[in-house]
Amino acid sequence: LSATTTVTRSRAQEGIAGGGGGYLRRQQRIAPYLFLSPFVILFLVFGTYPILKSLTLSLYATNGPRDEVFRGLANYSFLFGDPDFHTAVWNTAVYAFFSVFLQLPIALGLALLLSQRWVRAREFWRLAFFSPNLLGQVFVGVLFAVLYQPQFGLVNRGLNALTRHAIPLDTKWLDDPNLVMPALVMTSIWMYAGFNMIYFLAGLQAVDKDLYEAASVDGAGAWQQFLNVTVPGIKPVITFVLVTATLGSFQLFELPYILLNNGGGPKNAGLTIVMYLYDRGFVAGDLGYASAVGWTLALGMLIISLIQVRLTGALKEGR
Amino acid sequence: LHRDVASASVAGKVFLNVRSFPFGVAALSMLVLALASGALLALRPPEHKKADITYWTFAKPHYEAYQKVIHKFEEEHHCKVDLELVSGQGLPQRLQAAFLADLDVPDMCEVEISSAGTFFRGPVEHIGFTDLTPRLKAEGLLDRMVASRFAPYTSRGHIFGLPHDVHPVQFGYRRDILEAAGVDVNKIETWDDFIAVGKKITIPDKRYMIEMSATGSSQLETCLFQRDGGYFDPTGNVIFDNDIAVETMKWYVPLVAPGSQSQIANTLSSSFGTVIAQGMEQGYFVGVMMPDWRSKIFESDIGHLTGKMALMPLPAVQKGGRRTSTWGGTMLGITKHCKNQDLAWELAKFFYTNEKDLAERFSLTNILPPLKAAWKQPIFNQPNPYWSDQKLGRLYADLAPEVPSQYTHPFINVAKSKFGEALTECVQYYSQHGDEGFEPFIRTTLKAKADEVRRQIGRNPY
Repeated sequence: LSATTTVTRSRAQEGIAGGGGGYLRRQQRIAPYLFLSPFVILFLVFGTYPILKSLTLSLYATNGPRDEVFRGLANYSFLFGDPDFHTAVWNTAVYAFFSVFLQLPIALGLALLLSQRWVRAREFWRLAFFSPNLLGQVFVGVLFAVLYQPQFGLVNRGLNALTRHAIPLDTKWLDDPNLVMPALVMTSIWMYAGFNMIYFLAGLQAVDKDLYEAASVDGAGAWQQFLNVTVPGIKPVITFVLVTATLGSFQLFELPYILLNNGGGPKNAGLTIVMYLYDRGFVAGDLGYASAVGWTLALGMLIISLIQVRLTGALKEGR
Repeated sequence: LHRDVASASVAGKVFLNVRSFPFGVAALSMLVLALASGALLALRPPEHKKADITYWTFAKPHYEAYQKVIHKFEEEHHCKVDLELVSGQGLPQRLQAAFLADLDVPDMCEVEISSAGTFFRGPVEHIGFTDLTPRLKAEGLLDRMVASRFAPYTSRGHIFGLPHDVHPVQFGYRRDILEAAGVDVNKIETWDDFIAVGKKITIPDKRYMIEMSATGSSQLETCLFQRDGGYFDPTGNVIFDNDIAVETMKWYVPLVAPGSQSQIANTLSSSFGTVIAQGMEQGYFVGVMMPDWRSKIFESDIGHLTGKMALMPLPAVQKGGRRTSTWGGTMLGITKHCKNQDLAWELAKFFYTNEKDLAERFSLTNILPPLKAAWKQPIFNQPNPYWSDQKLGRLYADLAPEVPSQYTHPFINVAKSKFGEALTECVQYYSQHGDEGFEPFIRTTLKAKADEVRRQIGRNPY
C-alpha cells in the first residue's frame, strides 16, 4: 500500500512539475461535485422543484396548469374555516392518539412477552405477529371490509357469539359514524402492532442483562425493573417508534380509503387529512387548495415531531 | 514468452490509458454504463401503438362487446382502433391527469356519470372534451335518443357526452317470498301501498322489504330524482335543500332509521358482490332497487335464484305518477386531443347507434340503450328465465321515456357527500327524537350542507 501511495504521489508531483498540476488540481476539486451531480440534479428536478411549485400553487386558485388566479393566502384562510378539513384533522388526530397510546403499548407488551425464554416457539409467534405487515394496506382494507360486514361478517359473528348476542349481528362497523374510527384503529393495530414489536424486540436485546441482575439484587420487582431498567434502556427505540408511528398516522390514506369504499365513510367519520388532500387535488381537480392542505399538514407534522423529540429528550442524547 | 510479454505490454498500455481518463476508472465505468444503457434504449425504443383512435372504457362488458365488433369498423374505415380497458376507479384520475398534463390523452373515453361533472370545470373552451352539440343536432340524435340522458353530460348549454344508457330503475324482488306471504305486487301502485306491504313482510334483524341505506345516498338520490329533485338545477344552482329534497328526506328517513316503527329497509355495508348476494339468498332482503345494469349482476352473482326473482315498476309517489327513476350512467366523450374528430364521431355512432349491435350488447349486459329505435329489436321482447320469464327489455324500455333528468356539476361529488352527511344526521336525529321537530331539523341540516357546497363553489373562480 505504501509503495502504491509513493508511486501515486510521485506521479502527481511529476504532473505538477510537468505543467499539468493545474489540470489535476481542477480535476480533484471538481470530481466530488461531478459524482454528486446526478443525485443533485434529480433531486432538484423531482424533489425541490415540485416542493417549491406546490408552495406557489397553494397561493393560487387553479383549474389545471392553464387556469391559475393568484389568491394570496385565500386558500389557507378558507382551509381554516373549512368544516371538512376540521373533520379530517380531528379524525387523523384521534387515529394518531390511539395509534400511539394503544398500538405502541400493545407492541411493547408483545415484545416483552416474546423476549421471555419460557415462551415456546418464540420465532413462530414473532413471525405470526409481524406477518400482517407483509400485506399491503389495500389488501388489508379489502379483507377487513368483508370481515366487518353486518350479519354475515366474521367480526360480528364472533363478537355476537362471544358476548351472547349483546353485540348484535347487525352492528354496522363501517356504516355507523361512531364505529368507523374504532374499526380503523382495530385494523391498524392488527396490521402494525407486530411491526413495531420488532423494533422493541431489537431494543430489548440491547439492554444490558447485568442491570437486571443488579436491580434484582437491590430488591427491585418486575415492574420496577421495567420502569427503571427496560424503559430507559429502550428509550431511543421508544422515541423512534413514537415519532414514526405519529408521522405514519398523519399520512394515513390507503387503509380508510379502501375500507370505506373510496370515501370518508358516514358523516366523513373516517376522513383523514391525506384523503381530503387527495379528494381536493385529484378528484375535484383543485390543486391549489390541495397544496395548501399539504403544506399545512407538513407544518403540523413538523411541529408535532419537534414537540415529541423535545419531550423525549432525543436531541440532547444525540449530542 | 515473447508473445506473452508483448500482450502484457499492450494490456498495460490500455490499463494506463484507462487510468489516465479524467477522474479515473470509476468515472469511465459510469460513463460506459450510461452510454451502453442509453444506446440500448435508443436502439430498442418502446413500441408505439400506431392506432388512429385510442378508446378508453372502464366497463369490462362494454370492452368485451366492443372487441367483438371493432374489426368491422376497422375494415370499413381502413383504420386501427386501440381499445383499452382502464380500471373504473383509476380512470377519472388518469384522465384528469392526462388533461392537465396534456400527455397520453385518449381520443375517446367513456366516463361514469358520477365523475363526468368534474371534467366540466373551468372555462368552456378549456374543457378537455369536444362539444358534441352540433353533431348531435345534425344527426338528429337529440330526438332519436332519450332526451333526459343528455342532461348529466351538459354544461352551460354544451353537450360533451353521448349517453351510453338510460338506466331506468324498477323494484327487483324475491317472487317466491312475496308469493308465499300472499302479496300481489300488481296491487302495489304507490309508495304508501309498498310501505304497508313492507311493514307486514319486515321482521326486524331478520328480513327487510327493501335494501336502502341509512348513510349512503345512492338509494335516497334515486328517490329524489323520482320526485324531480336533484343536486343541481340545469343552470348549476345547488338545490338539494329545496322543498322536494326536504319532503324526500322526511319520507325516506323513517323507512331506514334503526328502531323506527316504519323501518322496512336496511343495508349491509355494500350493495354489490358477495354481500348483497348473501343478503338476497338468505331472504334478508326481499328486494332491491334494480336499475337495468344491476339486473345482469344479479343474474351472474346469484344465478341459483333463477325463476325466483321478478321485477315490478317502482311504486309512484302519488297515484298515476312516475313509476321509475334512474341510477348510474356512462357517457362517451371525444377529447379535443383527438386529431381525427370525424373518424371518432363515426366510431361513436358505430358503437352507440347500430341497432343490431346494441341488441347484441343488451343480451350481454341487460343495459337499455338510449337509442329508442333499438328497442324494437326482438331481444327486448324475449322472456328472461331468471326474472320469472318476464320480458326484461320490454319492462325497462316501457319505463325509459319516464326516466327523470339529473343535472351534474364540477362539484357534484362534494354535493353527494354533503347530502349523504345530511342523511346520516337526519337518521341519527330521527332515531333519538322521532317526528318531534324532525322537519325543521331536516330543513336546517340540508340548508347547512347545501351552503357548504355553495361556499366551495363560490371560493373558486372556475
